[in-house]
Amino acid sequence: MRKGGTARMVWLVIALVMLGGLIVASYLAPEFLTRPDLAHRNAGPLVVPPFGTDSMGIPLMEYALQGAKVVAIPSVLSGLLVSFLAILAGLARCMGFRWIDNALAMFQELVGALPRLVVILVVAVAMPRDYRSLLPIGLTWAFLAAPAAMDEAAATAGRLGGAAFVEALRAHGFNAFRIYLYHITWLNLRSVIVRQGAEVIMQVVFLEISLSYLALAQQLPALTHSDSVNSWASLLYDGYTWLVAGERMRHAMLLGILLVAMTALMAQAFRMAARER
Amino acid sequence: MRWWIRPFVRTIAALLLPLIVPFVITMILWALPGDPVEIVCPPQICTGGAHLAKLRRLDHGPWFFYHHWVWDAFHLNFGTSWRVVQGFPVSGLMAEAIPATTILVLFAMVPVLLGSAVAAVGWAPKRTDPILQTLGLIPAVILALIFAAWVTITYGALSNEGWPGTLRLILGALTLGVTDSALSGAVIGTRSVFDAEIKQRYIGIAILRGETVLANALPNVLPALVGQVRGRLLHLMSGAVVVEVVLGISGLGSLLWEGTLKQDFGVVLAAAWAFAMLSSVLLLIQAAVEVGTAMYIRRSPAVPA
Repeated sequence: MRKGGTARMVWLVIALVMLGGLIVASYLAPEFLTRPDLAHRNAGPLVVPPFGTDSMGIPLMEYALQGAKVVAIPSVLSGLLVSFLAILAGLARCMGFRWIDNALAMFQELVGALPRLVVILVVAVAMPRDYRSLLPIGLTWAFLAAPAAMDEAAATAGRLGGAAFVEALRAHGFNAFRIYLYHITWLNLRSVIVRQGAEVIMQVVFLEISLSYLALAQQLPALTHSDSVNSWASLLYDGYTWLVAGERMRHAMLLGILLVAMTALMAQAFRMAARER
Repeated sequence: MRWWIRPFVRTIAALLLPLIVPFVITMILWALPGDPVEIVCPPQICTGGAHLAKLRRLDHGPWFFYHHWVWDAFHLNFGTSWRVVQGFPVSGLMAEAIPATTILVLFAMVPVLLGSAVAAVGWAPKRTDPILQTLGLIPAVILALIFAAWVTITYGALSNEGWPGTLRLILGALTLGVTDSALSGAVIGTRSVFDAEIKQRYIGIAILRGETVLANALPNVLPALVGQVRGRLLHLMSGAVVVEVVLGISGLGSLLWEGTLKQDFGVVLAAAWAFAMLSSVLLLIQAAVEVGTAMYIRRSPAVPA
């Protein structure tokens, strides 16, 4: 195995296990929370395993699973969208489309000129209350993040030699499929597209937590999910009551922070697994 | 790519932004299910919809609304709030909100600019990068809620005036300046720009002539650095929405957030337009720096053989 290959494999396994865990959790999520059980309110993880309960005696596990359901598919699709657009930009540079630089510059100036959250809020205001979901918000975030990813992928492809690199590979007798998908995308653009995609997955999850927390803090309906579903922000909000009012909800805060840390670790694991040799 | 294309594109984008943003929001308002008048005045709970529609210029279609709104906005008249503070002039709400956001973002720029300066002079060793990157992974909302809890416990939940209010601003700025990769991005981004430039042959010649690296590299990296600073300012303005709401700072971000949740298009239009104007100014500054640097380089005397 090449130098560093084992470490990359370990990171890849960590990343895939965490991503798989997120997706499986989203499928295991209950449609509605169980009935309150006041006999077990604010119970710690040892009393009601694995994570304890909230102030109504509802297991925090259900909140964690529902939160995974809110973020899993939209964040993964957003990451895939960014990766796809980055691949297109890299391939366009290798095909020698020079106009792509000017088009990308214009796209980047217009799309990237506004603070992202302002654009997200404008999208959110357009969503009818009954159809609120993270998906349009996540895809908009991905669209806003795409110019930077496309720019980096195009620059990486440019450093390869662009059209001259493709011509050299053609001279070796390789077919277009092998040149564009294997040599350019897999061997050379992989680190950029995986890192950018993983970062967007993480950003969309954090965005959801932020937006849901802000809505919870003002006791208003969330922008990213229906009222019957709970976000991971609920755990942080319960944790905040522990910090401020001394409610016995430390375990909620710890679980919320653990989920945030696991999301960040997943993105880092993808980045490390796909880093350049 | 010719040197003038990027500043030209930036200038065009700067001129278009304040027109495009209200246009898009106006289109959204008309694209929503139902009549825009029903958003202002739902028929189940409100009478006098026709009068309100006339008052808010919603009765003659989107184009009529848009061009009157833009004309008024350039005269700093944003109409009245639809829901946040119903009937109150939005310009009044903006006048209260903009100073807080300006101070917050300016304070937040302090660690970011310091990080950039330290990286530019080479005082930020690469071995600190993992620490900065780990710090940058913390979402703003987490640090902000910890700070909010601390201020609330120490000074009370409604402590928004005097020293507690200033403390909220300082802690908000610290949150913005450190989390979400703001500081790590500034340090690593600036260093990578300088590292790439220092590899150029002219820098080696300058060192042999006894000149400093910074003085030679700076004019050439200035447009890239200004671009990075613009990106970081936009990033901070974006994060300001979260930080302001969590820490209870009455700024433009929290006004926009409240307007979004309550579907107050009067407030959303004005706040988004204000952000668009700020973005336009930043774009024009970057374009001016790029043109100025290009002119300076072209006017420099040729080195005698």
